[in-house]
Amino acid sequence: MLAPMEIGVETLRRMAALGGFVWTDAELESIRPAVERLLEMLERLESVPIGDLEPTTQYRMF
Amino acid sequence: MRSAETNELCWLSMADLGRMIATKEVSPVEVVRAHLDRISALDARLRAFITVCADSALQSARASEADLMAGKVAGPLHGVPWAPKDLYSTKGVRTTGGSKILGDSVPAADATVVARLGAAGAIVLGKLNMHEFAYGPEGLNAHYGDARNPWDARAHRITGGSSSGSGAAVAAGLAPGSLGSDTGGSIRIPASLCGITGLKPTYGRVSRAGVLPLAWSMDHVGPMTRTARDCALMLNAIAGYDPADPTTSVLPVPDYTAALRGDVKGLRVGLLCAHFTDVATAEVRAAVEAAAEQLERAGAILDEVNLAGVLHVAAASSAIVASEALAYHAGWMRARPQDYQPDVRERLRMGAFVSGAHYVRAQQLRALVRSEIDDALAKRDVLLAPATPIPAPVLGERETTLGDGTSDVRAALIRLTRPFNYSGHPAGAAPCGFTAGGLPIGLQIVGRPFDEATVLRVVDAYQRLTDWHTRRPSAA
Repeated sequence: MLAPMEIGVETLRRMAALGGFVWTDAELESIRPAVERLLEMLERLESVPIGDLEPTTQYRMF
Repeated sequence: MRSAETNELCWLSMADLGRMIATKEVSPVEVVRAHLDRISALDARLRAFITVCADSALQSARASEADLMAGKVAGPLHGVPWAPKDLYSTKGVRTTGGSKILGDSVPAADATVVARLGAAGAIVLGKLNMHEFAYGPEGLNAHYGDARNPWDARAHRITGGSSSGSGAAVAAGLAPGSLGSDTGGSIRIPASLCGITGLKPTYGRVSRAGVLPLAWSMDHVGPMTRTARDCALMLNAIAGYDPADPTTSVLPVPDYTAALRGDVKGLRVGLLCAHFTDVATAEVRAAVEAAAEQLERAGAILDEVNLAGVLHVAAASSAIVASEALAYHAGWMRARPQDYQPDVRERLRMGAFVSGAHYVRAQQLRALVRSEIDDALAKRDVLLAPATPIPAPVLGERETTLGDGTSDVRAALIRLTRPFNYSGHPAGAAPCGFTAGGLPIGLQIVGRPFDEATVLRVVDAYQRLTDWHTRRPSAA
């Protein structure tokens, strides 16, 4: 079980800025819990054994 | 025609309307006028439409009638009205995506599927409400008003979304058919909550050219009607390769109505358990189990299936949708974020925090989940599950009871549909009962890739055995 993820507003601001987004502290604070939950969920995916399975988007092309 | 009889036209299926028009029992003008009258009477309350195209619909109906009198019948949908969700491009008619940002956007050409339905003789009544930019399963819209579920007499429950207007309009007899779009369940969720029949075809079966995207690799478009036969008729008109959409398949398109034989004898049906039933309400579980038993009594061979891999779908598909949606909206999110409704703006922001490595991991898992579903379908013809674990929530409700705990409404609504956007398998939804409070319960039917025919065959057979799909909502 991973420890709950905690991300500060400053980290969020820097991550958003990398994408060219400038959001206020209040805006970042309001999404912080949801971002923490999402990143926790995504981190859990790292433990799924998938070997060297190739990524697929969609679909089997016919 | 008396007004009561005129009103009854609005409850006929597309198949019946097409047959009556072809045999000149009724004129396309009468049919279109009856629907426009009903929209005028009810839509201020239901808010199903963003734009009503009364003049052009009547003009098309008169042309359709003239063709008919000249012996030119385009097909079984000749003169039959329908209405697309307002993310399908319609030549000369604004296409808002349910947004303020595209509030004045008027496309120069029809989406491929709109053009194909037009060539089949169908007539556009107007453009239907939706969750802004299709990014929400509740069907909320701050700009054009929230569509209301016609099954609630006080009209204070959600339709589900994002194809909210499609759910409300078809359920309330404002249009006999619609095209919705489905990225995490946006056809099947409103079909379930509004008691209608919807089909998300296989990824690649139907062109998305001219349809506003939410997440390219998860988006599907498909019909929403009151019967499986009408879904088959619409799918016949829209399915097939389109050079304007490179993801479309060149596989031949069968006649989907030919599959509607009315029997399920010998079909192998897997009832999905665990993730798909654990948190469903007792009424939803009982209705879906009863539907499965009904199919078994009709000759289907029933067993239970557990898909363990779907546990990863919520995280992985969130990474995909968040990334792809923000990629599409990045320009507007930088230039005019204030013009999005708040919940959509917040969801779009999440994409900024998903890394490229997360996205690729999610696509690796996609192959795993798809393969598990393929394996389950190698031994079965279709899989059954609830379409939604809960009936229609009250408007504004943010949390709901799910199993022994609580969940936000959004996560609850997409829990059972999203796996098949992720995998790309065809999946339909149809009513299979009602709660004690009179709200529809939806059954989900999943098929093999490009085997929409069997999905529709099962729904059609079930609809011959039951009358859930013929019931009319109180608020309509």
